[in-house]
Amino acid sequence: MSILKLDHVVKRFGDFTAVNDLTFSVPEGGIFGFLGGNGAGKTTSLRMALDIIRPTSGSIEILGRKPGRENASQIGFLPEERGLYRRMTVLDTIVYFGRLKGMEAVDARREATRLIERFGLGEWTKSMVEKLSKGMSQKVQVAAAMVNKPRLLILDEPFSGLDPVNQKVLEDLVLEMAQAGSTVVFSTHIMQHAERLTNRIVLLARGRKVFEGTQEEARATLPGRLTLTSQHDPSSLHGVVSAKRSGSADSWSTWDVALKPGATPGELLQACTSGGFALRGFESHRPSLHDVFIHLVGPEQETTP
Amino acid sequence: MKNILLVATREYKQIAATRGFWVMLLVLPLVIGVTQIAGRFFRPQLNSAYVLVDASGQFESAIDRRLNLNYQRLELGAFSAYVQRWNLQSIAPDAIWAKGERWFNDAQIEQFVADGGIAPALATIQPHLPKDAPLYDIDPPTYIRAPLPAGINAADGPDAIATALADELQNEIDTPDGKRPLALVAYIPATPGTETPVRMWTNGAPNQSLVDNVRNEITRIQRSQALQASGLTPEASANIMDISTPINLSAPPQGGGREQVVIRSALPLVMVYLLLVTVMTTGSMMLQGVIEERSNKLLESILATIRPADLMYGKLLGLGAIGLTILAVWVAAAVGAAFFVQGMVADIVKPSLSAIEPWMFVAMLFYFLAGYLIISMLYLAIGALSNSLQDAQAYLMPVIMLIMLPTIFMMLSVVQQPNGVFPIIMSWIPLYTPFAMLARLGAGVDFIEVLGTGLMLIVFVGVEMLLLGRLFQASLLRTGQPPKLGAFLGMMLGKNTG
Repeated sequence: MSILKLDHVVKRFGDFTAVNDLTFSVPEGGIFGFLGGNGAGKTTSLRMALDIIRPTSGSIEILGRKPGRENASQIGFLPEERGLYRRMTVLDTIVYFGRLKGMEAVDARREATRLIERFGLGEWTKSMVEKLSKGMSQKVQVAAAMVNKPRLLILDEPFSGLDPVNQKVLEDLVLEMAQAGSTVVFSTHIMQHAERLTNRIVLLARGRKVFEGTQEEARATLPGRLTLTSQHDPSSLHGVVSAKRSGSADSWSTWDVALKPGATPGELLQACTSGGFALRGFESHRPSLHDVFIHLVGPEQETTP
Repeated sequence: MKNILLVATREYKQIAATRGFWVMLLVLPLVIGVTQIAGRFFRPQLNSAYVLVDASGQFESAIDRRLNLNYQRLELGAFSAYVQRWNLQSIAPDAIWAKGERWFNDAQIEQFVADGGIAPALATIQPHLPKDAPLYDIDPPTYIRAPLPAGINAADGPDAIATALADELQNEIDTPDGKRPLALVAYIPATPGTETPVRMWTNGAPNQSLVDNVRNEITRIQRSQALQASGLTPEASANIMDISTPINLSAPPQGGGREQVVIRSALPLVMVYLLLVTVMTTGSMMLQGVIEERSNKLLESILATIRPADLMYGKLLGLGAIGLTILAVWVAAAVGAAFFVQGMVADIVKPSLSAIEPWMFVAMLFYFLAGYLIISMLYLAIGALSNSLQDAQAYLMPVIMLIMLPTIFMMLSVVQQPNGVFPIIMSWIPLYTPFAMLARLGAGVDFIEVLGTGLMLIVFVGVEMLLLGRLFQASLLRTGQPPKLGAFLGMMLGKNTG
């Protein structure tokens, strides 16, 4: 069952088309990556899913219903641009968002206190937000997004502005939420996070979808690459597109080998073994999501690896 | 509705936690309190002293008598007005003080003094005083004669006396009633005339009536002496000197006529003032709140949980509650002060309230809330359009001018002519309707006019909520420069709402 489904969604602002004929679905459970460079249409798509703005055309289904505030009790949302009421305490802020999402005061208070402790902000519980550091403020915002233990947690560029330690804390929290049964959708242009966390991804470029599927399916769109050391030129082997000598020692040479789409390094190794093709070294290279992105979108839409 | 109340509660708490709110809330009660305390403890002394040296021995007692008669005349006049104000004439219909405030001649005053003066008159009416009538406050004599201080002799001559009293003229002098400012030193020579004039020294304070009284009395006696020297008997000359033109002055009773219109309009005019002050102040707070939400980038989080319209209603409700809190505290302070200041309840509050029929109270509350909504919505829309307070100022100044200036002119006009052309025109311009109708209610407005303007306001508030609500919604997540007129209108008409 899909927890979020966009069907031929278009969003125009005047003459500018921010999202163009976007169709994808997010299955319930797991962590879903929403990837793309700046201006790809990620934030606009998420805003439409939350009914903050309306699509020009197409349809959206979230939690099996149309977008609307009646879904708020089951959704957690951390926007890309974040802010808090400066003259509110940490506890009151999180409780306020919990209450806006339909929680009873006592439940919101209990869960807010738990999250505050979880984020190491216990001694700041009664402090005004204006007294917190930027990192602490971001933790409060994350807590406000999660306070209602959402069925669907939507995080828009959640790692931007966090130091490596807090990025790790947030990554752990995202995994924890997913293990607890929540579906997490997060947008990012930092591929490392997507690589570590996501099961499925959608890649956007200039408002259009360029890929949807698992990470492995994404990598399979790139030709496989490997390095092998042999006495003979491997160009004629099955599945090899090209082989370029990169060094030699004694009678052995090192080759950078490119495989045909669909051909795997394992198949090549098997062919070498069965064909008596002598090997001294065999190292396959796994393409990164960044490589996949550059391959699918082009370098002008480059992301952060 | 729950989310609207949550937003309203948050807005209320946030503003109630600011110093500015408490300063504003307490400023009026503080001003009233300080004014009252200062009025009670620092009330200037009403009477002052004079020193009279009469080398001739002819004028001294006549001047003292004249000053006392004048004081008794003022007191009798004030007491007569008090008796008339509280309808106490029937208690002693033949008493001189039961015949209304008028000019009393010397003989009447002397009779009044011979009968014991104000004290027995007061004792007569005391048991019959209405509950809300303040006690009559007897003023002390206006001028008290001080004897020459020890060590100064009348025979020392005018210059020596003036020199000896120089310090007292700058400060105070001992009198039988205690120390009093010395207002006048008068020296009457043995034979006052051109060669030897009456000498007077004053402390510079405005005591012209004291100087005039002394001079007039001396002149009166000298004229009488001149008439007798020309052959008239003392009785005939006295009769001539006592001639004065009788005047029958007609004026509305105290608290009536023009005064009544002003008093009846007091409460509605206060409401206009309170509406202006509270809406401008809380409007600014609301505007700052919206700008904070926009500049702090927290709107997106909020809009994911609550509809923009509910956010707007919550803000209006929260700020409305702040405005009503301020109003309630100020009204309570004013009512408390009115009871504290004896007579104000009876003289102003009651007449003002009695002029207003029960349905008018409903109308006043309606106009107050409608005015609050109309102006608050403008502030809210300006806040949503602005990226910073500087941006907001550019929109705000013309709006404030547009509201304040005509309203102030209208209030002045209402006091002069409540149902004049200008206030009536203003009553039918929706932006000013609440102010104009509130101001005019005390003077009496036809029910049909209240009904008509009320219906017009309901429609106007509805249309304003629709158009400015769209503007608010479309502006919340907008970035960049404030929109131009075309985009502005587009947003109000529901286009480009994102």
